[in-house]
Amino acid sequence: MPAQANANVIALQLEKVRDKVPLLYERDDILLTMIQQRGDIERVSSRNMRLPLQVNPGGKAGSYNADGGDLGRGSGTQYDVAQVSPIFFRFAIEITKLVEYATNGKERSVENAAKREVANGMRQFRAFLDKLMQTAGNGVLGTISSVSGNTFTMTIPYGAALVYPGQTIQIYDTTLTTNRNIAASVVTTVQTADPITTQQITVDNVPSGTVATDVIVHDGLSGAQPVSLFGIKYHQNNATTGTWLNLNRANYPVLLQTPRVNAGNAALTPAAVRLAINKVRKALGINHLAKLIAYMAVEQEHAWENLGITVSQIIKEGGSGGGNDLDLLFTGRKTMSGIPIKSSVNADQTRVDFLDLSHWGRAVLKDIDFYEVNGNTVFPIYGASGGIAASYIFYFDTAFQVWSDSPRSGAYIDTLARPTGY
Amino acid sequence: MLAARSLVLHLLYFLYLIYLISSIGMIQVIREKHDTPENVARRLSLAGGVNRYGEPNYRVVWGWNRLGWIGGKFEDRDAAGNLLREVVELRWEPKYPQVNRWHVERWVPPEAYGSPATWYSQTIERAGGKSVAALGPYPDRGEYEHCFTLQGPRGEFLQLTPTIVAYVAHAIEWSRGQGSAKQRAGLYEREEREDRAYEQWAYDLMDDSVPAMHGLPFVTVK
Repeated sequence: MPAQANANVIALQLEKVRDKVPLLYERDDILLTMIQQRGDIERVSSRNMRLPLQVNPGGKAGSYNADGGDLGRGSGTQYDVAQVSPIFFRFAIEITKLVEYATNGKERSVENAAKREVANGMRQFRAFLDKLMQTAGNGVLGTISSVSGNTFTMTIPYGAALVYPGQTIQIYDTTLTTNRNIAASVVTTVQTADPITTQQITVDNVPSGTVATDVIVHDGLSGAQPVSLFGIKYHQNNATTGTWLNLNRANYPVLLQTPRVNAGNAALTPAAVRLAINKVRKALGINHLAKLIAYMAVEQEHAWENLGITVSQIIKEGGSGGGNDLDLLFTGRKTMSGIPIKSSVNADQTRVDFLDLSHWGRAVLKDIDFYEVNGNTVFPIYGASGGIAASYIFYFDTAFQVWSDSPRSGAYIDTLARPTGY
Repeated sequence: MLAARSLVLHLLYFLYLIYLISSIGMIQVIREKHDTPENVARRLSLAGGVNRYGEPNYRVVWGWNRLGWIGGKFEDRDAAGNLLREVVELRWEPKYPQVNRWHVERWVPPEAYGSPATWYSQTIERAGGKSVAALGPYPDRGEYEHCFTLQGPRGEFLQLTPTIVAYVAHAIEWSRGQGSAKQRAGLYEREEREDRAYEQWAYDLMDDSVPAMHGLPFVTVK
């Protein structure tokens, strides 16, 4: 009987936790997973899903002459179809042979190592996807404002918030036409990222031709004008040109426009918040606010706290103790003019989005799971010589796209100043 | 005598008709309104102090009672969401979405809204050939802004009591007393705490998927 390979042990451990993977993924504590997976869209091919939209009401109203007058013709409701193409995402995790040596190959130790890698990997994968949720659908994770050796200083927003150390990135020119990494045949990996103070990232390789105004996109994209996850800035957009879910925005300039308040680089004020909220109310009805959330970066939550009209988060630490029933009032109830706040370290630091998540959904083509080939989920790595390398690899993969059936059901404030100290 | 009686009857009938017409023409919007109890207002005033006009810094209002200006182009829709009409005007509408809850508000001085010129430059909306101040006139005596909606952790109704509102006012004042740097640090700490909570939850979830004692054999000690 051949000796049991470490890959087999790892695979065995992964199988034990396989049913937990969706649970790890779906916990609704980040914006991506707060958007529900929805089945009310029609799958038309392996890649496309159709989302019927009622774009104009039907019927012709008017008065008529009952004394033999012509009542005229009618009309029906006008529909159009938005199309959603799920994108495949993967997260690769490698375990080296050292794990086996370091743990003496005992099953329990390998089990612990496998569990740890699954939990850590899922945390990182969710963070990656949540970062993509902040973007405009083109995979751009940041814009370079200056290059100094292997250090990029990044433009706010997003600064260095959407990358993480160890991530493979690609650099495109500002028009998203030239992939500098492919042109120079180099791979660029993030070494360090400071999303709070300096907004700088360091990388191992800078492809030739990289200049300020270039943009960083995630690994796996290719060609000009790449398409990635349709994030907040894709759906919450007041543009009247271009396309939205394959619909021409120019055909429905009002319906597809999200109300916007331009803060003009000023600090967040209650007036700006009310302006944004009222735009939704005017468009959709005065009482149409029940499901809105105010989604923002921690910086803008801090700006709101600085106004001194809300209960600071640290009240929980500074308060009189957890036994008090009144403390319940403060559990997750911080609001912005009555709209519940959801903040994130990944969100655009200069923006506040009011989202009605009941109009958002995830079109899922493949549920989250381990990537599998003929029943195998763990694969050996081959060295440059063609021989076996001392490590194993497994993947999470999923295919989905995010859609909204009513861009007008939200609003946003942009070009906000960040509070001092950032 | 008869003529005088007839005149009085006609006058009474005329007044009755006016009453009937005015009753029919008047549409009364029925809303559940509540005034803030006096003892709550007093307690808040003591807890939060008064502003430069001698008015309390904090107050509690019932959602249906709290109206505010909303101006611009309204799209009135029927129950099915179909567009009925578009009209440009200034309306006096409930300010907060939770109309059946108590809200704690704090007074904000007028200077916090900038100058009147800035206010109008930021809030004027032009539609249909009209210009309307989307938030109404400049708040030259300041304005009460939303601090807190009194409701339970799951959004359920919570009755107003003086103790609760005083606690909320103290909490807000306490928060205002904290430095900006401390508040900022608190927010980042919360994010890290939530990240760690996910990590711990994930490890626990993973542990649930393996057998007790990690499948190792064990014996019962007698």
